Amino acid sequence: MQRIWIVVMSVWAMLAIVAVLAWASHPVSTASPQLAPQQVVVKGANGKQHLVVLKSSTHATTATSAVARG
Amino acid sequence: MSTLSRIKWRAVGTTCTAAATTGIHDELRARVALEAAQEEVAACERELSRFDSDSDLTRLNAGAGSWQPVGRRLLETLRLALRAREDTGGRFDPTVLPALVAAGYDKSFELLEERPAEHADGWCAGATIELDHRRGRARLEPGTAVDLGGIGKGYAARCALDAMLARAPSLPGGLVDLGGDIAVRGETPEGGPWHVAVSDPRRPGETLAVLALAEGGVATSGRDARRFGPAGSLHHLIDPETGEPALAGPLTVTVVAPDAAEAEAHATTLAIGSLAEAEAHIAARPHLAALYVPHAGPPTPLGALPLETPRLVVSLA
Repeated sequence: MQRIWIVVMSVWAMLAIVAVLAWASHPVSTASPQLAPQQVVVKGANGKQHLVVLKSSTHATTATSAVARG
Repeated sequence: MSTLSRIKWRAVGTTCTAAATTGIHDELRARVALEAAQEEVAACERELSRFDSDSDLTRLNAGAGSWQPVGRRLLETLRLALRAREDTGGRFDPTVLPALVAAGYDKSFELLEERPAEHADGWCAGATIELDHRRGRARLEPGTAVDLGGIGKGYAARCALDAMLARAPSLPGGLVDLGGDIAVRGETPEGGPWHVAVSDPRRPGETLAVLALAEGGVATSGRDARRFGPAGSLHHLIDPETGEPALAGPLTVTVVAPDAAEAEAHATTLAIGSLAEAEAHIAARPHLAALYVPHAGPPTPLGALPLETPRLVVSLA
C-alpha cells in the first residue's frame, strides 16, 4: 500500500514540475494597446469647420520627408 | 492575439520603418519578413539613388543620349514617373534634375553647402525618356537628367511591403514607412485599418489629422523641410514651367492614393499649385484624396479623405 502511495505522489510531483515549467516558458503576449483616436470637427462662428485631434495612437506618421542625421 | 513587430533603420536619406502584424507564434516569420523589406529598400536605393555614383540612375544620367542597361526597379519607376507626367499635364516631371542642381540641391541633403542659386541653362521641361522593357534599358534625351527622389521612395515603400508579405504570406498585414511615404496592406494587430497620423507642419510634434487606411499609399510633400540656400530661402519643389523653386503652393500637402508612388507624384504636383488647382485636380481623380495645408488659415480636406472615426461636430457658434 505504501508503495502505491509513493508512486501516486511521485506522479503528482512530476506533473506539478511539468506544469510549473510550462507556465514559466509560456510566450508573453505584448499586444499593442487598442487604438482609440478621437477627432472633433469644431464648427466656428463663421461656419468653417476645423479638425481637432484630441487623442491618437497611430501606426505611422506622414510628413515632408525628413533627413536622417547622426 | 496579435502584436506589431517593427524594424527601424536609415536608408534612402531618411528614417525607414517596416512593421508587420504578428501572431503569437509568428515572431520568427515576422523577423524574416521585415528583413525582406529592408533588403528590398536597399535594392531600390542601389538602382534609384542619384547620390550613389554606382547606381543605375547615375549611369543613366551620365550616359544621356545613348541606351543604358537599367534594372527592373528603375525601369518601373521611370514608367510610373512618365505616366504621372502625362496624368498631371507635366506638372510632375522627373526631368527637373538640372533645375534642381542649378538651384543648389546638388548633393545628398545633409552634405549641402550654401552657394548662390543659378538658373539651369536652356531649361526645357518634358524631355524625352525612352524605355525598352524587353531589353532592360532606357535612353534619356541628350542634356537631360532624371531625379526620382520622391516617387522613388513611394515605389520603394510599395515594393518593400510586397517583398515583406511575399516572404511571409501568412502574416495578416504590414506597413512600410520611408520618411513619410507610407504603404499599407491587410490587417493591423487590432484587426482594423492602419492609422496614419498627418504631422502638423505649423506645430512641430503635433498631429493635424489621423487617416484610416485598409490598403494603399500616403505621401506628403511640402516646403517645411529640405530647405537650403541663403538662410534656407530655397526649397526642393521645382516648378517645371519655370525651372525654379515654385513660388505658389501650400506649406504641405498629403495625398492618399491606391499606391504610394502615385500618392507621392500627386503630392509633388499639388505642392506647387494653388488651392483652387488642387481642388480641381482631386475632383477630376476620384481615386485620390488630399489634405492641403496652406501657410496660414485652416487646412482643407479634398476628396474622400479617410479620416479616422469617430468624429463629432462641436459648434462654437
